[in-house]
Amino acid sequence: MTKSIKILGTGCPKCKSTTAVVTEVVAQNNLDATIEKVEDIMEIMKYNVLTTPVLVIDEKIVVKGRVPSKEEVLNLINQ
Amino acid sequence: MERAKEICPTTTKGKVSNGALIVDVRENNEVSQLAFDVPNIMHIPYSEFESRFTEIPKDTEVVMVCSEGDRSLKTTYLLMNNGYENVFNMSNGLTKWAQKGFPTIGDVSSIDKGAASSCCSPAPEKETSSCCAPAPETKNSSCCSPSTTESSCC
Repeated sequence: MTKSIKILGTGCPKCKSTTAVVTEVVAQNNLDATIEKVEDIMEIMKYNVLTTPVLVIDEKIVVKGRVPSKEEVLNLINQ
Repeated sequence: MERAKEICPTTTKGKVSNGALIVDVRENNEVSQLAFDVPNIMHIPYSEFESRFTEIPKDTEVVMVCSEGDRSLKTTYLLMNNGYENVFNMSNGLTKWAQKGFPTIGDVSSIDKGAASSCCSPAPEKETSSCCAPAPETKNSSCCSPSTTESSCC
């Protein structure tokens, strides 16, 4: 089943880094996943978070306020 | 999701006079340098806001403030998501508040006096800096719209 991955962030450097990490992990491991970058403040606030970047997998917040490592992202996607 | 209601410093000052609660979400070091001098104010740093926002009463008119209006906008949405109905964001933050000569405590030297023009100065260059931009998309976003009853900055 395709994983839905969202990166919430208004364009800060950490948000861009998180997007790069996630994109690389998905590509390197041929994972079945969609990646969406959410930059609209109203869309972000639907998740009730103040600290970005936020990594959301299948609508569940899994990382908040920091850039995850590749290993962490891979583990989270495979859970 | 409903869009946040944004008001300018002058409208905020009017609400303060009518008993509104100001909630400053700037960090401690920012507040120690320069603070709002208003009677009814709470300080909850942005970094602690998610765990402390329930300290804000729900039965009071609340205006969220910060230095530029960006952090406070996010906290406004967070409050709206959590059942606060009478909450506003003060656009352009303490910077605009101080530029307009409204009461502060501390050192205002860090505020750019060069940009201290009226929020209705003619032909502003930057869309985001003007509260008088034509055809605002939201009903409450303009402090200078003739149709906005709460307008008073101009």
